[in-house]
Amino acid sequence: MSTVLTPPDEAIDAEVARAVETGRTLDARGLAFQGALLLALLAALAVLVWLLYSVVDGAIPVFQDRSVGDFLSGKLSGSPSRFGVSQGIRGSIGILVFVGIIAFPLGVAAAVYLEEYATDNLFSRTVNVLVRNLAGVPAVVYGLLGLFVFKGLLGDLTGGSSLMSAGLTMAILVLPVVVITAAEAIRAVPQPLREAGYGLGATQWEVIRTQVLPYAAPGILTGTVLSFARALGEAAPLLIIGTATGLLTSSGGSVLDQLQGNYTALPMLVYVATKRPAEEWLSLASASALVLLVVLLVANSAAILARNHFEKRRS
Amino acid sequence: MHRSRLVVAVVATAALSLLAVACGGDSESGGGSGSGSGGTELTGSIFATGSSTVEPITALAGESFNGENPGVDITVEGPGTGDGFKKFCAGEADIANASRKIKDEEAGLCQAAGVEYVELAIASDALTVVTNVDNTAVTCLKLEDLYGLVGPESDNVAKWSDASQFGATTQLPDAELKIFAPGQESGTYDSFVELALSKITEERVGEDPPKETRTYGGLADDNEIVRGIQSSPTSFGWVGFAFAEQAEVREIEVDGGEGCVAPSAETVADGSYPLSRTLYIYVNKAKAAASPALQAFVTYYLDNDEQFVSDAGYVPLPTEQLEASKATWAAVVSGGAPAETTTTAAG
Repeated sequence: MSTVLTPPDEAIDAEVARAVETGRTLDARGLAFQGALLLALLAALAVLVWLLYSVVDGAIPVFQDRSVGDFLSGKLSGSPSRFGVSQGIRGSIGILVFVGIIAFPLGVAAAVYLEEYATDNLFSRTVNVLVRNLAGVPAVVYGLLGLFVFKGLLGDLTGGSSLMSAGLTMAILVLPVVVITAAEAIRAVPQPLREAGYGLGATQWEVIRTQVLPYAAPGILTGTVLSFARALGEAAPLLIIGTATGLLTSSGGSVLDQLQGNYTALPMLVYVATKRPAEEWLSLASASALVLLVVLLVANSAAILARNHFEKRRS
Repeated sequence: MHRSRLVVAVVATAALSLLAVACGGDSESGGGSGSGSGGTELTGSIFATGSSTVEPITALAGESFNGENPGVDITVEGPGTGDGFKKFCAGEADIANASRKIKDEEAGLCQAAGVEYVELAIASDALTVVTNVDNTAVTCLKLEDLYGLVGPESDNVAKWSDASQFGATTQLPDAELKIFAPGQESGTYDSFVELALSKITEERVGEDPPKETRTYGGLADDNEIVRGIQSSPTSFGWVGFAFAEQAEVREIEVDGGEGCVAPSAETVADGSYPLSRTLYIYVNKAKAAASPALQAFVTYYLDNDEQFVSDAGYVPLPTEQLEASKATWAAVVSGGAPAETTTTAAG
């Protein structure tokens, strides 16, 4: 992206320049390369479309017998005609709230410290390497962490196999992604912006608050989108921590009781439905996957809207 | 300048962590006050884990019970019979669903943790031997044939007809044998070994066979097995009755020595189908004694058992076995006969 401070270069017509230099007007190899790139794009798109088609196609039988609202408001059940996703949506949103409240501020704060305050020494370099490696650690490993720490060690606080354990595990799972993307966004803030701030007598905190963070906000939000998507789709840590898969009834209780109580999440519903007998359950798996995709899309669009908002404010 | 900034940073960190601790303390006290509740209606929570095969039956029972007792929170999960017993014996669960009887080492875990339980038979299931719909050459298999096809000696059996080397007596087709069957973690695997193979293995290999079946790529769930069976015209495998009935596969009759019998509700109920197994729930006795809700739930479950079982697509238990379960449970509720209650008279 171009910045405000450097004007764009004069555009040079590549074809004219090449024709003048080499005397050839047709760039066959260039065209072939372009074609290959286009093919790659189409192949990726085709896979995506095929995936969407198979999910929608698989889900159609569900909505022939019952309304969309009935499926959305239904709960876990042993009977395919009553099975629905409301508890899964609730659990997945609960997990996202944990990610938003814990991973987002912690991650951004860590990134600000690493980029703005930490000097380049052995400690900060080690932390950087660790964070980068943590971002690549498979989800199952975080599931084990959740099992031992949140379900085991802190079991009295979290309530064991609870929404809180799942939310905390997911928050930690995505934390490195948030740190890395936020740090990269902060690193991309032009140095003159900071210097101008200092020149006007602002303190470091004031420069970060009024210049660096607003400038980096779109990039930071992109990281959030990625982390939300990951937290929403992961099933492996939930499998290890344990979720309700057959039935989940709750008579309510305080917010804390519910956080400490059993839960289920959308990816788990997909998984459960694929293991039950009969085609009916397989269509329910597709329908649940479709709901998962829609929730993901909604969460992502919200983050993209927020990013656009900050981008507009910047220019 | 630099030093003062460091001091501020340290103070800010300390303040933040204090805040975090304070919040933690708050939430814990909140938990204590939230859990107290009274009233004449049943309240409490019930947690059932274990077999994913039995899960839908218990889920249906829980759903129906919850309709009448909305104050009782019921959670049912299905990580598998083995995982379920681990949790159950650690005292984490009130009920363990099981597609087989508890194993000695699992019972040992329970004993070591001081968890006393009662075993209640709730349904029957037929391990259904299946092949592709196009495979019309095989209609009935003897137990010896099953042993010849997948027994521990049969690692080199590549064609159906090769099974005769290891005791198969039926004339089997000269066609490639492709096995799609459950992995060792599955209760369906254990039941098959016990019902179809173990006796012949003992006769042919001895008391301590090196392995229970031949080596094959075990599949994680019955839907995968069904898809595998459908993918090859000479496939062989076995699944739970509900899966076989609701999929397009060919069920093979089994001859346990008294003629070929097809799996069905009737042949399972009268005991003539040789590969029928019993499904159980295990209830933690101490938890049942402490929780009127759990007691009421298990009683309700057994009283309406036949309906839940058939709604879930399984085969109801023969009446006398169900009555035996009810009697066992009644004895537990009234606190009688503690020595006898860890076993039932299940076939």
